[in-house]
Amino acid sequence: MRYGLGPEILRDISFTLEQGSFQLLTGPSGAGKTSLLKLIYLAERPSRGAISMFGREIAITPRDELPALRRRIGVVFQDFRLLDHLTVFENVSLPRRVMGEFETGYRAEVEELLSWVGLGNRLNAKPPTLSGGEKQRVAIARAVVAKPELLLADEPTGNVDPEIGGRIMRLFIELNKLGTSLLIATHDQRIIERLPATRIFQLAEGRLTTAQSAKAKESALPEAKRA
Amino acid sequence: MNTPIQSGLMPADSASGTTLHTIVAVMSFLACLTLGAVLTLSHLASEWTEGLSGSVTVQLLPSAQIGPEDQLNEALRLVRQWPGVFEAHPLSRAEAAKLLEPWLGAGNVLEDLPVPQLIEVTLTPGQAVELAGLEHALADGVPGALLDDHKRWNQELASFAASSEAVGWAVLLLIGVATLAIVIFATQAGLQAHREIVEVVHMIGARDVFIATEFQRHFLWLGVRGGLIGFALAAVTLFGSSFWLGAREAPVGAQLLPQFISAPYHYVWLLLVPAATGLIAMGTARMTVLRVLGRMP
Repeated sequence: MRYGLGPEILRDISFTLEQGSFQLLTGPSGAGKTSLLKLIYLAERPSRGAISMFGREIAITPRDELPALRRRIGVVFQDFRLLDHLTVFENVSLPRRVMGEFETGYRAEVEELLSWVGLGNRLNAKPPTLSGGEKQRVAIARAVVAKPELLLADEPTGNVDPEIGGRIMRLFIELNKLGTSLLIATHDQRIIERLPATRIFQLAEGRLTTAQSAKAKESALPEAKRA
Repeated sequence: MNTPIQSGLMPADSASGTTLHTIVAVMSFLACLTLGAVLTLSHLASEWTEGLSGSVTVQLLPSAQIGPEDQLNEALRLVRQWPGVFEAHPLSRAEAAKLLEPWLGAGNVLEDLPVPQLIEVTLTPGQAVELAGLEHALADGVPGALLDDHKRWNQELASFAASSEAVGWAVLLLIGVATLAIVIFATQAGLQAHREIVEVVHMIGARDVFIATEFQRHFLWLGVRGGLIGFALAAVTLFGSSFWLGAREAPVGAQLLPQFISAPYHYVWLLLVPAATGLIAMGTARMTVLRVLGRMP
């Protein structure tokens, strides 16, 4: 993948995200983590190669069918991308709203979710009045509110304190247990060490390598011994 | 726990919205003024033509052959019995003085001026009148009597009104094109400021039609609101100028000028301007958003 006539940011990358799997994506800044996520959440097109999602070849999928695929993906953007003129409640309920649902159908769920991420008392607040950590939690709540089949998160714990970071990680684990596949781009060693990721993708100089996580190795060890 | 009311996707007020409001209001004001002028000219043209063709005037010049009283009575008798004449009304000195007031001012000017006696003749609407025959009959039967059928005035006024009206429509067309271009430009600039909204909503799975509908509704309202502000300012200006031109304090001769918006229903036509600015803003927003979205995957 390249932007315009610039150098190739990502090349020769091939991987599959299994349903219900948990992956981490690591790599130095500028390695192309965000670009890779953009390809997956269909914000960019690859300059060569093919992407297959939910059984559909993206290159040959009609454009008007892409929104339905995007609704199956939740995204936590690194810069949050909250709409400043909408309240916290309105920002979080946006994915449900664009699906054509009425407020009465999702109000209770959104309020519960916001309480869970510690923002139950900030429903009417607007993003410019929130701290960085609060914005991040709103962004996470918005990404998970429609119960996506695949959740992509770009540095989701970068601005939160350890307690909230722990809550967010538990939320990710719960979602994963419910069948959501996760791909989390992070530098955060706490996440890398503690989350039950089965694979760690490492991006460097536009190329992807795969490693097993420490936890995965630990759980695989008895089996290896048995073998 | 209080649940907030869901608002539209677009910010209710923003810097770009204020700019668009102002631009639309100014263009709407100009378009309303021009449309008001064109409607007034059009109305006047038909009013003048109808007014002048529905009446004739008999002038009685002083004659040595007949006294003024006999001259007036004889002329009135002849005119009133002529087929197609509805009414003949001799103008009193006070009425004649009022007619001259815009040019000569109020005062006892008639004492010093040899103003001819005038008879205002109203013709029966829709009935053909043999005016040439009446002219001959007056010339033969009443010394010093002249018939003025206003034909010369009528033709000149009609051609003046028609050419003014044509110029008015041309100016209105130019203002309309300029309004269209400026509203399109301002709407596109406003949309640029909200590009982030388009991108975010697109990425969370909104269909193009959903986003376009949100934007077009917002810009329809912006366009209508700006247009209504311009309409209100124009209506106040037109009403104020009509009021001032009809006032006693207006300069001598001002009463002769046509009143802007002489028919109240013209204000209803002016309401087409805010409707048009709203539709232009809405259409532009829809097309621009769909074009921006079309460039996204």
